Formats: sequence, structure tokens, C-alpha cells
Amino acid sequence: MKALGRLAGLALVAACATTGAEGEGDRNLPTAGVGPFRKLEPEEVKGVAPFVLDDARALYREPAVLRDGESTLLYAVARVDEADVIVRTRALDERTFFGTSGHFGHKPVTVLEPDAPWEGALSGPTLVRFRGEILLFYAGAEGIGLARSTDGLTFRKEPGPVLTRDPLPGSWETTAPRAPSVFALPDGRLRMLFAAGRAIGEAESADGVAWTRVGGEPVLVPAPPPAPGSLLPNEKPPFDTAAVGDPCVVTRTTPAGRFHVRVLYTGTDTSGATAVGFAARYGESGPLARQTVPVYSVGQKEAAPALLDLGDSSFLYVQQDRRDGDTSFVAVAAAFAPGNVKLPPSGDYPDSP
Amino acid sequence: MARGSSVLRRSAAAALGGLALLAAAPPAHANPPDTFGFGSRETAMGGAVAAETRGFAANYYNPAALARSRGLEIGIGYFRAEHALAMNGRDNGVDAVKGMNAGFVAPGTFLGIPFAFGVAVHLPDDRISRVRALRQEQPRWELYDNRNQRLFLAANLAIEPTPWLWIGGGLSFMSSTRGRLDISGSANVFRPDDSKLRHEVDADLTAVRYPQAGVRVALGERVALAAVYRGEFQLALDLTAHLFGDISGLTTALYDLHTRSINNFLPQQAVLGGSWAVTDRLKTTLDATWINWSAYVAPVAKLDAVLEIPPPPSGWPSTVTPPTTPAPTRVESLKMYDRIVPRVGLEWHALGEKSAKGFLRAGYELAKSPIAAQSGLTNYVDRDRHSLSLGVGGAFQDLLPELPGTLTIDGHVQVSRLSTETTRKASAADYVGDYTAGGSILNVGITAGFAFDKRRDDATAKAVTR
Repeated sequence: MKALGRLAGLALVAACATTGAEGEGDRNLPTAGVGPFRKLEPEEVKGVAPFVLDDARALYREPAVLRDGESTLLYAVARVDEADVIVRTRALDERTFFGTSGHFGHKPVTVLEPDAPWEGALSGPTLVRFRGEILLFYAGAEGIGLARSTDGLTFRKEPGPVLTRDPLPGSWETTAPRAPSVFALPDGRLRMLFAAGRAIGEAESADGVAWTRVGGEPVLVPAPPPAPGSLLPNEKPPFDTAAVGDPCVVTRTTPAGRFHVRVLYTGTDTSGATAVGFAARYGESGPLARQTVPVYSVGQKEAAPALLDLGDSSFLYVQQDRRDGDTSFVAVAAAFAPGNVKLPPSGDYPDSP
Repeated sequence: MARGSSVLRRSAAAALGGLALLAAAPPAHANPPDTFGFGSRETAMGGAVAAETRGFAANYYNPAALARSRGLEIGIGYFRAEHALAMNGRDNGVDAVKGMNAGFVAPGTFLGIPFAFGVAVHLPDDRISRVRALRQEQPRWELYDNRNQRLFLAANLAIEPTPWLWIGGGLSFMSSTRGRLDISGSANVFRPDDSKLRHEVDADLTAVRYPQAGVRVALGERVALAAVYRGEFQLALDLTAHLFGDISGLTTALYDLHTRSINNFLPQQAVLGGSWAVTDRLKTTLDATWINWSAYVAPVAKLDAVLEIPPPPSGWPSTVTPPTTPAPTRVESLKMYDRIVPRVGLEWHALGEKSAKGFLRAGYELAKSPIAAQSGLTNYVDRDRHSLSLGVGGAFQDLLPELPGTLTIDGHVQVSRLSTETTRKASAADYVGDYTAGGSILNVGITAGFAFDKRRDDATAKAVTR
């Protein structure tokens, strides 16, 4: 019995000493790399979180990103001298961009201005590396234009738009194409997703200049309204029942070896509220399947997503309202995934844009 | 004949008593012994010991075998199972399962019938129990991440009504969790330090039980058969939170949250086992365990929430977006299949005869994954598991004159391989996407026991019967 008593005592002592470490099992979890995203915290940015490029007069918006070595190049639409132009800035930590409002005395550099009759205001920049050049596609009043560069600073425009409104009668494109996003297929051909009307369509090109539409239907349309009685209490209807636009395409090959076309887009509901959604497909062609839950939704008119995929993590850049008292202005905000990872404090501003 | 009928009557009475005891137990457990074994000798033999177990390990493998003991037996051991489980080739950091295994068997006789009472415990050295409720989309190693992070406690009673029959049963215990968190007072959003909030936490750990029973039949000197049943267990997690208060004099906030989930589930199991002493020095064992995985309840929290924040009299400022009540979770069902897990074991009396003996052991187990392909929203990750185990043991009799009995020291190493396979998602818009998963588990342990039983020597060394 003494032995039993000692055993019980030992068990009791061991039990009292159980100071469990925090459980794990959730490291390095697989992800498609497209969120859900959390907005950056105050200690993760230099200025007002989650904004990484803001100016009440320049009204930075419609961001696009391009990786350049250790630098992140961010292009955005800005208001300069009463004209909507495209500017470029740079960060070394994906967050601290040259020329934001807290970087006194500095401004992003203007890389493209409207100077052709068809352009009007410039919008929707997107960039892709192609045959040793950086191609910058952008939207003007009458369609989508192209400018080329070797250094990402000095661009040479094509003389006219490379994609204009579909002339076929009855086309789903009720407006001129806008908000292009261009990506390369495994064989080197280029594909472009673009917004027109309330939907998103697709075109293909071998050289980036001559584009033909892929199929006669859009690849993503607004979500149908939910069937009566299909929603649970407090469950929200789809966030993109009115319009989809601003596609941002990033491709990858999945661990199963499938070519994965991932698209972030702006979804608009019938009340005009916006959120950033995710749609995708396996393979080169076909309609996109949508994720019903938005990847980023903060109720501040978030739109025009740009994705920087770093493999284990990703940054999302969007335009959204920056509220300052009773006023607000549009600026570029950043979010991060995976959401349970904390970023180190923000770094220094780079020396140049 | 008269003695036989009397014994049968008493056996029937004991069995009825046992059944009554079992019937009183509500459905109740997921425990580490299912995955990593209990006791080094038994683990080294691949867990194929329903007809071969004895001593404190019988509390888990077959309660009937407790009655094989003729003197007080105690045992204590320690094991550590280290996971190297990865998705997309990267380790997921699944916590090790480690802790002490201990127990005792106290035999005796009642009305001329040998009986034994046994208690066994697995005491983790990190935590008594862990509760974890994850989103159903989050990938997790469903059968290894959280289920084995808990205490296992069993108490059993066994009888030996005839020299060839052993019957036993008992209960295992676990606690379910019910908790309430109340927060009330006033919150100052402009000066948080001036907030006055009152917290009240009421947590209740309620004991739940599940039954287990077993029978062992000796067919002569060299062959024994066994059958074991282990009941179903559900570990519930029931939490409510109530928050009510004033927000800076602007408005009030009410937040009621109620979550319910089955945090851990052990399906009922039935084991058929056999043991055959091929020679005086070599035993081989075989078990087949049916596991009712199809009844599994996924550990996803069902959440009901109410959020009421009326607008201030002057309306919401333009810079404030009032939060809305979260939508309830649409829980996706988890499809699982019943499985039969085969196990084989070997024990070779390799060295010694009387006062000191040495044993070599080996075992194998194939646990085919019960979880259906995770091509949809959920990511309950699992893979087929092949486990190969090896062990050594020593038995030392009457080491000290004043301490008659047998000291046993056993060690085991078990390597489990989970085959790497690819999960392909049906929807391209899945947040997780395609992934590969697989890995290995290394389980190492040692167990020491002492039997105050002079007759144990012959039994241990030679036959599958006593």
C-alpha cells in the first residue's frame, strides 16, 4: 500500500507540474495565397494604418505592384495638376513607400501622363514583364493602352489603344474595357482580364499589342441574388450582386501540378458597398469560380486590389477611404496574409522612388 | 457439476452487475493509448495484445486480463511521441504527446472466485486536457493535433470464473467543459483606462464516463482468444459569453455569444484478438479492431451570437461603421468511414531462464485513414498510417530476499509512416487550395513494473494462459 501511496503522490506532483506550452499544430499551413487578409496594424506601418501611400491632394488610388529584386514597385493613379496620371513609388519592406504623406519633402515620380486624344484620364495600371521589357497596360476613355519600359521609370506609349469596346452588336460589353490585368500562360502567350460594364472578360495576345477576345461571354459576372429563405439569420447576401470589376490576376502551379489562375476583384452590391473578392480557375481558359466570402472587407469603399505574392505570405494593396474627422479621401491601404502572422516593425523609406 | 453451476450463477450475477454498471454510464473519450499504445511491452508488440496483455496495461487493452494477476502489480512508464507531420513539405509543428503511464492491479478472491481490480492513468506532462475549436476551413491533423492531448483514466474489475475464462469491465473517465463569461460595466473608448468592467467566469468541468468490457478465453496451454468493447465518448465544449455595458455615454452594447461543439470524440470500438505460443519461447499475436468512425462528430463550433448596439441619439458619426451581428456558421458535414485496424505482434524469449530473462518484441499496425477525401471546404487532414514497433524487455525475479516478486523493465520504439498524398480541391476558389500532406511519428518509451507474485515468472516466460 505504501507503494500505491507513493505512486499516487508522484502522479499528484506530476499533475501539479503540468504547465502546458501554448499549443501549435498550425505552422506552415497550406494556403492558396489569396487571404483572407487582415489590414496592417499601426506598428506595422509608418503613417496612419493601414495606409501605405496617402495624400489628401494626390488621391492615390488603383494600385499595381511589381517585384524588382528586394524592392516592391507600386504604381498608382494620382491627381497631379488637375490630371489623372500614373505615378511610381518603391518600398524595401513592402510597406514603407517613398513619398507617402509622412515622408516629408518627397513625392512618387510620375511615369505616365495623358497626352493622346483617346486617353482622357488614365486609370487602372497593371504591369507584366515580357521579353525583357516591362509592359504597363492602363485604361483611357476609349479603351486599354500600352506603354513599354526597360527600367520601369521611362515608358514609351503605343500610339493607340490596344483593346477597344467590342463592336459586335449585343455584346455583354456595355462600356469601353477598363482595369486590365495581364498574365502569361505557361507557353508564353499573354492573357488579359478586363472589366467592362458590370462583368469581367478575357482577351489573348502573342505580342501584347494585338489582342483578340477569348470566347463571347464574360469569365465572371455578378453573383445572382440569394434564393428567398436560403440565408441563415444574420447571414449576409453575396457582396457582388451588382457588379464585378478591377481584376488582378496572379498565377501559380499548385502542389498537385495544376495551373491556377487566381483573380482578386472588386465586388459591388446593390447598395453600392464594395469588397474585395476572390475567383479562380484551374487551367488556361474557362469561367472563374468565385469564393463566397470576400478576402478583404472593411466598409471603407475598398476597391482595385493588387496582389504581391511572396510565396509564404502575400500583401494586398487596395484603394480605400481614409477618414479624417468628418472628411475622407481615397488612399492606398495594405493588408497581409496569413492573418495570424505578425510583421516586424516597418523599415526605412527608400532613397528613391 | 454442482460447483460448475454455482460458478456460472455467480458469473452471471457478476456479468449482470457489470452490465448494470455499464448501462448507468452515459455515452462518454479520445485518448492517447488508441494512437500510441499503453505500456512499452504492449506498444512494442504493435498493440496486438487483446489476448496477451496483463498487468496494469490490461486496463486499456482488455480489462478481463486483469484477473490473470495473482499478486499486487504496479507499473509506471513514460513515453514521448514526436510528430514530423508536414503539408506541402513544411512541418506543421504538431505538438508532441508525452507523459507518464501508470497503474496497478490488486487481485484477490471473492466467494472462491479470483478477481482483480485495476486502475490505469495516462498523465500528460504538458497539460491535463486541451480544448481547441478551429474554423472548419483551417487545415489540421485531425487525429493527431488535439485529440491525444488529454488525460486517460480507467478503472476496471475482472473475474476468473473458470480456469479458462476471464471477464472484465469498467469505466474510463473524462471531463466535459461548460463555461460562462460575463462582462458588464462601462467602456470609455476615448480613455480606456477609465473603463469600469466587471468580469465573471464560471467554468464547470463535468465528469463523463464511457464503458469498456472484455473477455478472454484460453484454448489449452498455447492459444487464447479475446474480445474487447470500448464505448463511444463525446467531449463537449459549451461556452457562453455575455457582454453588456455603456460605451462612453454614447450608446450601449449587448453581445451574447453561445458556442457548442464536440471537442473530442472517441468512436466505439470492438476488438477480436488471438495469441499463440508457437514454441516455449515464441509468441505471436493478432488483433483486429473495428472502429466506428462513421459516427464521428467534427469538432466545429456552432455559434449563435446576438449583437445590439443602438445608434446614439445624434446618429452614427460618418467615421464610424457600426458592427453587425456575425452570421452563424454553416457547418459542413465530415464524412468518415468505419475501419478495421489489423495488428500483429511477436515476443521472443531470447535470453535467460529463471532469475533473469530477456525478451525481444516486434509489431506492426495498419491504420487506414477513416476520413473521406477533403476536396471541399473542410480540411480534416489525415493519411494512412503504417506503424512498425520494436522493443526489448527484461524480467528479474526475487532480486532482494525481502522483496519477493518480479521486476520487469521494457522499452519500445515505434515508427509510424503517414504516406504523402495530394489533396485536390474541387473549387479553384478554395482559400487553401491543393496540398500534399504526410510525415512520420516517432514514439519512444520505457516502462517498469513490479509483480508481487511468485508465479508470474512461469506465466510470463512460457504460455499465453496463466
